[in-house]
Amino acid sequence: MSELAFDRQWRLDELLDAAALERIGPALAELFGGEVGILDAEGGLLWGHAPDAAERRLPLILELEAIGYLASGTAAQPALHGGRELLIAILRAQVRYKMAATLHVEAVAEDYESLQRSHARLLESEARYRKLAGELEIRVKSQLLELEERQQMLYQAEKLASVGQLAAGMAHEINNPLGFIGSNLSTFKSYLEKFAALKGRLAHAENAWRELDLDFILADGFDLLTDSASGIERIARLVADLKSFSNVDRASEEYADLNTCLQHVASVMSSQLPPTIKLSLELGPLPKLVCLPGHLNQLFFNVMRNAVQAIQDAGRPGEVRVSSGRVDGGIEIRIADDGKGMSREQREHAFEPFFTTRGVGAGAGLGLSTARNIVLAHSGRIDIASTAGVGTTVRLFFPTAQ
Amino acid sequence: MSEREGNSLSFKLVYYGPAQSGKTTNLLRLHDQLSPELKGELMSMETKDDRTLFFDLLPLGFRAPSGLLIKFRLFTVPGQIAHDGTRKAVLSRADGVVFVADSDRSQETNNAESFQSLTDNCRRVGLDFEHLPLVVQFNKRDLPNAVPEAEIRARWSAAPWPLVLATALRGEGVGESFAALLLAVYERHAAAQELATVHGLAAAAFVAGALGQG
Repeated sequence: MSELAFDRQWRLDELLDAAALERIGPALAELFGGEVGILDAEGGLLWGHAPDAAERRLPLILELEAIGYLASGTAAQPALHGGRELLIAILRAQVRYKMAATLHVEAVAEDYESLQRSHARLLESEARYRKLAGELEIRVKSQLLELEERQQMLYQAEKLASVGQLAAGMAHEINNPLGFIGSNLSTFKSYLEKFAALKGRLAHAENAWRELDLDFILADGFDLLTDSASGIERIARLVADLKSFSNVDRASEEYADLNTCLQHVASVMSSQLPPTIKLSLELGPLPKLVCLPGHLNQLFFNVMRNAVQAIQDAGRPGEVRVSSGRVDGGIEIRIADDGKGMSREQREHAFEPFFTTRGVGAGAGLGLSTARNIVLAHSGRIDIASTAGVGTTVRLFFPTAQ
Repeated sequence: MSEREGNSLSFKLVYYGPAQSGKTTNLLRLHDQLSPELKGELMSMETKDDRTLFFDLLPLGFRAPSGLLIKFRLFTVPGQIAHDGTRKAVLSRADGVVFVADSDRSQETNNAESFQSLTDNCRRVGLDFEHLPLVVQFNKRDLPNAVPEAEIRARWSAAPWPLVLATALRGEGVGESFAALLLAVYERHAAAQELATVHGLAAAAFVAGALGQG
C-alpha cells in the first residue's frame, strides 16, 4: 500500500497534529478533572500524562482496530467513556476529510494523466494528418502533371486527327480533277496516235483527214487541254487553301491599313462578279494594325466569296456590303449579304473544317474554318448573324494595341 | 493489494458500476445484514442528491484460528462519468470487484460503458483484469422493465465471472454477491497468504468468517 494513498490506515498522529492536540488536550483534561493522556497505537504518548493502569486506558477505534488510546488517572469511568466517544467523533470527521482530500489529489493527478494521454494521442494524430496532407499535396501535384501530359497527348491526337481529316478531304477534292485530267490525257494520247497515223497517209490527205475524224479530234483536243488546265488550276487553289489553312507559308507581320486590304480584295472580287451582284464598300478611317496582310486578304476573300455565293444560291440580284470602322478597343469589319442565309444547324457548324453545303468538287469546306483561324491568330473575334432566306452578316473584330 | 501489516491481512474490495446502480445500497445492506466478529461503521460521502462524491467505506473483519486478523475494506466508486479520475484512484490496489449493473432496460448502454471503463481503468492502474476476482451483480430486479433473467444469463453465459441477481433495496442478492466475491478472493490469495496451511482457514470458513456465520 502506498504511503500516501487515500486508503491507507491513518495513524493517530496524522489525524491529530500538534495544533489539534494543543486544542483538544487541555479541553479533555478540564473534563477529566486534571489528567489526560493521548497515546498512539503502539502506546507512545502524544499528549499529556498517561497512568499505567490498563482499565484507565480506552482504545480509539475508527474502523476495526485501535489506532490509539485515551487515558486518564483522574476521570470517572463514565467521563472517560464519554470523552472517548467525543474524540472518536472528532477523529472520524478528521479521517473523512483527510481521505477525501488525498483522494481528490489522486483523482486530479489521474485526470491530468488522462488529459496528457489524450493530448499525446492528439499530437500523434495531428502529426499523422500533417504527414498525410504533405503526401496528398505531392500526389495531387504528380496527378496534375499526369493529367496535363494526358491532355497534351489528347490535344496532339486531336490535331493529328484533324490533319487526317484534312488530308482525307483534300484527297477527295484532288482526286476529282486528277481523275478527269488523267482521262483527258489518255484520250489525248489516242488523238496523237491518230495524228501519227495521218503522217503515213498524207498523200491521201483529204480522205485520211475525214476518215480519222480529225476535225472532231482537233476541237475536242482543245477542249480537253482547257479542261485539264482548269483542273490543274483547281488543284493549285486547293493546295494554296491548304497551305494557308495550315499556316505553312507564314508571312512576316506588317503594319497595315485594313481598308487597303479590303479595297484590294474587292477589286479582285468585282472582276469575277456577275452583273446581277453589286459590291459596295463603306469604309471608315481605321488605325493601322500589326497583322499578316496576306492572311487577312485571304480571310476577306473567303468571306466575300461566301457572300457572293449566298446571293447566287438565292437566285436573285443582290448586294454585298462591306463596312469598316473603329469601335471600343479595336476595329470592326462587317460583310453583309442579302443572299439565302443559313439554317441554325449550318450556323452551328459553319466554322468546322470540311463542313460545306456544296456538292463535292464545289468547295472543300475550309473557307470559314480558315477564316476563323486567321482571326484567332490576330487575337480577334468572328461571329455570324444570319436569317435563312434574308441574308447573312459576318462581323469581324480586331483589337488594336493600347 | 492484499496487505500484511503486523498480525493483520487486509483486502480492498471495490463496488464498481454505472451511476445510481445501487453500489452504496449494497454496502448499507451488508452493514445491516452481516455480523462478523468485527464490523466498523459505514463511512459515506454522499452529496445531497444521493450520489456518491468520493467513495463509501465499510470495514469488516474476523480473526483466523491462527490469530491473524483478516480485514475487508469495502469501497464504492462514484458512478458519474465525470468522476473517472476518482474512480481510478478508488479502484487502485483493489483485490476484488463487484460490478453492480442496473437491470433497467434503458440502462443497458450505461452498463456496457461502465464495464468497459472498468476494464480500461484496471489496465491503467496496473490491475491484472484477467485474474482479478470479479462478481457481476444485476441489481434492481424489482423494476417492471428489468431485462429478463434469461436474456441476461444468455448474454453473460460466455463470461467466466459469477452472475448474481439482486434487489439491493430489499437486501436480496447482496450477501450472495459478497460471498461469491469472497470465494473468488480466497481462491486468488489463499496460497500466497498461506491461509489454509498456516492460518487454518478453509474457503468455507473464510467466507463464513467475513459474513459472520462462523
